[in-house]
Amino acid sequence: MRILLIEDNDAIANAVRTMLEARKFAVDVAADGETGLEYLLRETYELAVVDVVLPGRDGFSIVRSARAEGTQTPVLMLTARDAVEDRVRGLDSGADDYLIKPFVEDELIARVNALLRRGERPINDRPAAGKLLVDTGSREARYDGVPLELGTTEFRLLEFLTRNAGIAFTRAQLLERVWDYEFEGSSNIVDVYVSQLRRKLRAAGGADVIETVWGVGYKLTA
Amino acid sequence: MIVRLTAIYTAIFAAVLAAISGYAYWFFAAQYRALLAPALETPEGQTGLRTALAHVLTTIVAADVPVLVVVATLAYVLARASLTPLLEARAREQQFAADAAHELRSPLATIATVAQAARLRSDETTREALDTIARTALDASALIGDLLTLAREPRPGLLQSEPVDIANIAASCAREFADRAASARLDLRVRASSAIVQGDERRLRELTRNLLENAFKHAKSSVSLESGADERGAFLRVGDDGDGVAPILRDRIFQRHETNDPGGSGLGLAIASWIAHAHDGTLALEDGGGGAAFVARIPAYSGGQNAR
Repeated sequence: MRILLIEDNDAIANAVRTMLEARKFAVDVAADGETGLEYLLRETYELAVVDVVLPGRDGFSIVRSARAEGTQTPVLMLTARDAVEDRVRGLDSGADDYLIKPFVEDELIARVNALLRRGERPINDRPAAGKLLVDTGSREARYDGVPLELGTTEFRLLEFLTRNAGIAFTRAQLLERVWDYEFEGSSNIVDVYVSQLRRKLRAAGGADVIETVWGVGYKLTA
Repeated sequence: MIVRLTAIYTAIFAAVLAAISGYAYWFFAAQYRALLAPALETPEGQTGLRTALAHVLTTIVAADVPVLVVVATLAYVLARASLTPLLEARAREQQFAADAAHELRSPLATIATVAQAARLRSDETTREALDTIARTALDASALIGDLLTLAREPRPGLLQSEPVDIANIAASCAREFADRAASARLDLRVRASSAIVQGDERRLRELTRNLLENAFKHAKSSVSLESGADERGAFLRVGDDGDGVAPILRDRIFQRHETNDPGGSGLGLAIASWIAHAHDGTLALEDGGGGAAFVARIPAYSGGQNAR
């Protein structure tokens, strides 16, 4: 398994490399943004770990450019700042997950393994159903060409329903598969999100995209 | 801020103006009555007095309105002039705090990462030392993060905002703390009912964790965790059966570094309170029933705009 690490701080780069190599990963290190992007586009990696603040080209820009070029390598962002804007911006640029520095080693390894497992599945990164198009690379969704402004969870729910268009899911199934819910009582959080998605789809011209299946739950109709 | 100060200035002046105008009217009314006293016996005299007084009233009001407009404008200019430097200074201060925190956290990140990597290739004694170094650097970094949070005014703009069911947060935090409860021989009782709020899941988890940390420190035999919604909105309640909060601390418990635990950093409850306020909510210490119970109240999710 080859991992690309883009990090300009030598001490941290060496330390992260040691951590990853101890788990038998092969690690390439790039110390600036331009070199990092070049490696990412030219070589084949199972995963890239990218620092946000870099000389030359920042982490957001690397991921955006790589995604624009069609690279699907999962990306774990390392960020020093804990600001909401950074978290949202990181995920919006096409990164798959982020980790705040300083981190606990186990956390790094857990995130890396989770992303690698996800990466192994051959998935369609642009699922579509009818006029609905979801691009998981750039985190954009469009209905009939009209872009939809979606929050993180809304996007996940729409992506799941689009991948499984035509299949009806119960609320419990959606809670388990989209939310990873641990609460076992009844909750109408699914209905809240479905009604938000419906409102946004309707504004884009899609009136009955998410259908209520009586006695079951919801399904997306193409 | 500027608008509020303008309103206060204007209201104070309007009150003064109203008092002066009232006095002026009363004064003129008395004068006219005295002057016209002989004529007041006749109906014509009565009408004359009424007409004269109506005139006086119109004149006073006509004079008051432009004065009030001028005063409101002046108040705005004054409020702006006096507040702008303060607001700017505050913004600069917060930027400085953010930059300083960032500068302090970077070396701590290096220390923590390098120490954790080095422990992979070291013997038992060295490993323990490196663990301590890494843990201390991580704690210090977390502390800086908390201080930075508290230096900012709690407002929703600093949060991610999505509908979240706090029952799920309660359930998953309860699971996180289950092992600790077992090893500390504490009974962790959970009663989670669904309550949807608009908020930042990560921050709400932090709030719950901080309250649980606090309860675990003080409980004798049990900790309770409850979530739900009532007519006042969504709530999350964490109680323990410890000695409760000393009366002298009750009013200050949510302030930074106020603690009845000599070992704690004292920021846990302050952060929890900050998070509740950033969600337009409150965190309060509940009375009654031995031990301490902290209740976070957050407005229930209202269905978004025009949701259906």
